[in-house]
Amino acid sequence: MPVKLSKKVCLLGDFAVGKTSLVRRFVHDLFDDKYITTIGVKVSRKTVVVPSASDVVELTMMLWDLAGCAEFDQVRASYLRGTAGAVLVCDVTRPETLDGLRSYVDDLLGVSGDAQFVVVANKIDLIEHQQIAPADVEAVVERWDVPFFLTSAKTGEEVQRLFRHLGRRLLFRG
Amino acid sequence: MNPIVTQLIFEDCEIAYAITDRELVVVEVNGTEDVFDQASVGRSLLDCVPEMVGSEVVLSEILDGFLPRFELAWVNRETPQGRTLYLNMVDLPYRDERGQIVGLLHVVRDVTEAGTLEQRLTQHRNELRLLRDQLARQNLELEAANVELRRLDEMKSIFVSVAAHELRTPLTSVSGFVEVLLDEDLGPLNETQREYLEMAQAGAERLLHITDSLLDVTCIEAGRIELVLQPRDLASLVQAVAAEYAPQVTARAQRLTLHAPPDLPAILCDKTRTVQIVGNLLSNAIKYTPEGGSITISLALAEEAGFVRVAVADTGVGISSEDQPKLFRRFFRAASAVQTRAYGAGLGLFITRSLVELHGGRIWFESEPDHGSTFYVTFPISDSLA
Repeated sequence: MPVKLSKKVCLLGDFAVGKTSLVRRFVHDLFDDKYITTIGVKVSRKTVVVPSASDVVELTMMLWDLAGCAEFDQVRASYLRGTAGAVLVCDVTRPETLDGLRSYVDDLLGVSGDAQFVVVANKIDLIEHQQIAPADVEAVVERWDVPFFLTSAKTGEEVQRLFRHLGRRLLFRG
Repeated sequence: MNPIVTQLIFEDCEIAYAITDRELVVVEVNGTEDVFDQASVGRSLLDCVPEMVGSEVVLSEILDGFLPRFELAWVNRETPQGRTLYLNMVDLPYRDERGQIVGLLHVVRDVTEAGTLEQRLTQHRNELRLLRDQLARQNLELEAANVELRRLDEMKSIFVSVAAHELRTPLTSVSGFVEVLLDEDLGPLNETQREYLEMAQAGAERLLHITDSLLDVTCIEAGRIELVLQPRDLASLVQAVAAEYAPQVTARAQRLTLHAPPDLPAILCDKTRTVQIVGNLLSNAIKYTPEGGSITISLALAEEAGFVRVAVADTGVGISSEDQPKLFRRFFRAASAVQTRAYGAGLGLFITRSLVELHGGRIWFESEPDHGSTFYVTFPISDSLA
């Protein structure tokens, strides 16, 4: 019998970086180009099977897609309570969204000090508008010693891999 | 409180609640189908409210009396019909008559109406922010392109200036030595020798004129032209220019007439540049007027007060309406220039306009193909007499 576990995973990052689209791609394998702002929090769930040395774990990720705009800074701390993991998202076409990740990490670790997280540079399909190089992301994540992924919620590139990777981190490091 | 009143308040404020025991099993509910129904009773609160998964530690802190309340605002929930509900959730300790915490009170308020409005507002705000950021980025890109263009333009001006200077020195020597030969200081010339030397001299003069024009253009663009403004008698200056060009007028069997009223006030101008302005206009008139044609230079008070106007009219080929708007552009050569094989680099009128404007005057023209052209320039009247 597989071991069943639930973990809370928050998606953090500035508005319009593609957090909702990443969740939608991961959970429903769908994408919609239309930008719809999230206010507050939207919770989805997805179960992934993570093999380990002795067991197979059915990990249900409770995905908390949090509003990215400044208006929700006040309530973000209450959303972050009990977070086991997080996906920090920036948009490769907007350099300021990479710079903004630091404050989200501070918020996350301030509330859940042992949370596992990964960094995601999304929208890599927009090659012509790309303003962030992989080296830029690498330079920023270096200080936290966490992996980063270059994703496209539109094409699905690297989306499954990033969540599965986070799932393994939650089980084996969390 | 009257239970009917309580029920009415709950319904009016769209409030639902669930009461759990200490194991978080729901023991009582009150609410709508969208939030809680009777089927929730007996199930874990975490099953009924997925948003509470991960908050187990917080909930146990409430049960242990360490935390007075826990709130989650603007929780989005999608109904099976695809409608988005916005819910505010508050967890409070539920106490018995003795004040002991025996479970949790989970209160849910449906704030969908306010949430929908808030979502729209935030959406517009974010879209505006995206546009603003995009504009700022485009602005930066344009600024960078502008700086690069200015740098290239500066390099081009330096190159042109250096090249023109380097060309001018040997050209002056060539022209000078040809002149010595033509003056027969070194011995008599036969007809063929004279013809060839005159052709060489004309070519050297044209090249000198072009290098001078290029130097003028680079000076104009760099803002390095300085005028020595003094009160001058315009009629005298124009007469001097007319005298200078008389041999060319005669060579083309043209008739040059000058009308200058005797009481014309002095103008404030740079003498060299004024001669250059009038000379350029007269030179053009000669070039574009067929042999036997006539050219008239008229001086008068301009319509705008404080200015004197010079008009140079010819009976030449005129300028097509297509070429007219481009006439003062750098390096523009009108179709008539090509037709008449008039030499030039297309800089004369650009320089003339720049010099006129530096004086504070203006330049314009009237022209009709095959019916000639008239160019007008104005100069400011000097306050003091020459």
